[in-house]
Amino acid sequence: MRLLRGIYEGPGSHGILRVVASMHDVWAVLRALPSEGYFQALHGAWTRSGEPAPVSVSPVWEKSAGSREPGDVDRDLAAVVRRHPRTEAVVLARSEAALLAGEPTPVVTLPENETGRSPELVTCEWERVGMGEAEASDLALADIVRAHARPAEKSATPTVNVFGPPVFGPGAEAEYDEVERMLSLLGIEVNARVPLGASAAHLRRLPRAWANVLLYRETGDAATLYLQDKFGTPRVTTPMIGAASTGAVLRSIGELCGLDQGKARRAVWSELATTAKLPWYARLQPPETFRGRRVAIFGDFTYTLGLGYALAREVGLEVGACGTYLTHLERDFLFHASTFTDEAFVADDPERVADRLKNSEPDLLIGTYFEEEIADSLGIPFLPFCPPVLRHPFVQQPLMGYRGSSLLADALEDALRRPKQEQSEEENPPPTGLPWTDEALDDLEEIPAFLRGRTRRLAEERARAVRSGEVTRKILESSRD
Amino acid sequence: MTILNESGVPDVLSPLAAARSLPARLPGALVMVVGTRTEAYLAQTLSAALSPDAARDPLHYMILDADKPPEQGQMASRVIETCAGVSNPRIVFLISGRSAEMMGVDVRFEARVAARRLELPVMVLDPDPDPRSRSCLSTSLEDRALAALVEVCRESAPDRKPASVPASKRGGFLGGFLGRDRAPDRGVRRSPVALLGTSRGAAVDLSADLRRVGVEVSGSVPAIEPSSGSVAGEMPPIGEGTVVAPLDPHLTAACRTAEGRGAKVVRTLSPIGVDGTARFIQDVAAAVGISVSEMGRAREAWESLDPLRNRIRGKRVFLAGDTGFELALARFLADAGALVIEVGTPRLERRAMSSDLHSLGAGVDVVESPDGWGQIGRIDAARPDVVICSQGLYIPLVSRGHLCRTSLDLRRIGIHGYEGARRVLDLLVQTFERAEALDALDL
Repeated sequence: MRLLRGIYEGPGSHGILRVVASMHDVWAVLRALPSEGYFQALHGAWTRSGEPAPVSVSPVWEKSAGSREPGDVDRDLAAVVRRHPRTEAVVLARSEAALLAGEPTPVVTLPENETGRSPELVTCEWERVGMGEAEASDLALADIVRAHARPAEKSATPTVNVFGPPVFGPGAEAEYDEVERMLSLLGIEVNARVPLGASAAHLRRLPRAWANVLLYRETGDAATLYLQDKFGTPRVTTPMIGAASTGAVLRSIGELCGLDQGKARRAVWSELATTAKLPWYARLQPPETFRGRRVAIFGDFTYTLGLGYALAREVGLEVGACGTYLTHLERDFLFHASTFTDEAFVADDPERVADRLKNSEPDLLIGTYFEEEIADSLGIPFLPFCPPVLRHPFVQQPLMGYRGSSLLADALEDALRRPKQEQSEEENPPPTGLPWTDEALDDLEEIPAFLRGRTRRLAEERARAVRSGEVTRKILESSRD
Repeated sequence: MTILNESGVPDVLSPLAAARSLPARLPGALVMVVGTRTEAYLAQTLSAALSPDAARDPLHYMILDADKPPEQGQMASRVIETCAGVSNPRIVFLISGRSAEMMGVDVRFEARVAARRLELPVMVLDPDPDPRSRSCLSTSLEDRALAALVEVCRESAPDRKPASVPASKRGGFLGGFLGRDRAPDRGVRRSPVALLGTSRGAAVDLSADLRRVGVEVSGSVPAIEPSSGSVAGEMPPIGEGTVVAPLDPHLTAACRTAEGRGAKVVRTLSPIGVDGTARFIQDVAAAVGISVSEMGRAREAWESLDPLRNRIRGKRVFLAGDTGFELALARFLADAGALVIEVGTPRLERRAMSSDLHSLGAGVDVVESPDGWGQIGRIDAARPDVVICSQGLYIPLVSRGHLCRTSLDLRRIGIHGYEGARRVLDLLVQTFERAEALDALDL
């Protein structure tokens, strides 16, 4: 039993639905209680694409005997194919309540679709209560790929598969576009984008590619490993954030595709001269802009590590803290993050995260939408670059690749415009260190640990607002109203 | 009128999306979602995604571990601890459905333990429908919250002498006119009527209307003007001898709870639309022994709506149905001259809805438990002038070229009472005007 003030990751079924909703010709049946219908509304609000999500609900409810109404999972799975005859795969996702009900995995033969084939049935038997969205999305994508990928000759000219973020990822589509643009500079075609925009035909031809580019490890790790083991397709896994990492990835892809080294180098140089502005920004700014400035980063795996590398190595900021909420990737995350920070951590309790980030005394915070409140309370700039995000704009911007590096440079310029010493006390009061009276501290002690961090932040914010030099019992009380 | 049970899966937003609105409507309410990650995620993310302007998350989440359910009393202790971290908690809602039950956790027992130790009401709200009705409404959680509040109400007024409750304690609008009520006014009867409904605006307007015809409203559940004192103290007594007037047709659990306490629940039209409001006022007055006619007031209201009705007349309306107020709204729109093609309702509580059903008029199809996908097909075929639908159908329908408003839009403007009727027509007229203006653009 855990008491939390927020949840970074949705349940496993949500991860499966995100993967399915990213693709064409694949349909998900969500086995859930009648009160757990939500995906259409969320999909509509966040993608605003106009297309309904390919998800239907098979309600867990008491059925009257002999009735043919929905609720029978076998029949609901078959009904999908009859209603949507173009479906080439049906994926079963189960909400945690459905898992707790302990229903057996359905064994059902789906009717034929319009091509005269029975669609593949992916039942996600590994789903369990408590599993997070990222892990489930990774396993679901691997299962869907496994069900479709067929041995094939490599393409005549070099091609690669791009494994990127699923739907709802910040700027997901822009990330794929940017990578495809850069690959075209090398003369490499994209064989398939997975999962966003992939159809069953794309999935079947995955083994044609010469290499897999893994942009978003959270969702594509297991699938690319499968393709590597089964079909020998090598993969490139470096997060493509910042100019240095992007260059490294392009050079690796060039090697795997047998390009002559000069071609990759020329493409990289040309991009550095025209598109990639992060190195140029770092060179133009006087060193004082970055010296002694600390950044704290929190989020998923890819964006957090990618930004950490880029900001530490290319820009020269000190990474005061770097954390992820993806507990199932703890070992890998700590290993990578320790290369650029001494303060790597894994935590999925927003209060603990807030404490860690705050203790690192950052001058800039990069995180998920949860962390914005912390930046506000510290009076420091905030960049919402890590998923989950709440804003899903019509015009998407990449953060990966060379264009992404320029976007990062622009954002940094805005955030770090004023040198640190010019942040006057009136405008940006010191974020920490406000003294507390003993009485106020006693009261704080009585507040449960999981609420204490937030209470402390709000009280200090309040004390600054009323221009008090210390936090008194009265201020603490009033900040909690 | 034809009633068809389609036995489909309606597109209904999870009632958990409304969790965040509870503390907003009832200050001092501590709301904790108890169950799986799924439930916590839905409560948190849906409200943030659908109303990004909402205040920072006031909810707490208690996520249970299926492999290691909490020991008895442990959950109660955590609830108590959490209360210690919140300023002036007055009531605790534990939103907990079937998953906690399936993990073998008796949340109601824990709530009782916590309530005893905190000396506060700790109420369990089940977002899942009861097995009999199965389908849920997006408003189910509100219904459960109101049922819980009815349980918290006193069964009878401790002392009904005017001096027993100082006017200053009653606060705000209601206190104001209750205060006036104590003045010698021979026309006022003292039969206690309690209003039941989440919309504060509706409670204010209808209290004023009832007061106009001489009915004393003893209060509203939840209170119109919440105080900082006890929740029970600010709400009217509900028990034997009290009359409860529900403002919404979907408040079935709340009405059942009130009836269980011996209160008389007025079964009449919902106060939505002109005739609905008039019948509601007449029937509530009749329930306390006052005979009034609202015909004159209704006529006036209709006359004032004439310019708007002229724009609505003949428009074809399709109500997909997810909240439970669609039948009443369809009845009003039909009276206002619109042609209602279909009214969907995820579940049809015939007893609560009978008045609204009977006054719906011939030629309207009511579809119980409609299938969301089937409705999209029927809407495509019928090409209505406007569709009132759930959040999930909104964007797919707009992309198919239909003019849509969500049921949430209507709830936001407030659809109750005579003024609500005007707002509904106004919203539709504005929708038509906006669509015409956009269509006229040469892109």
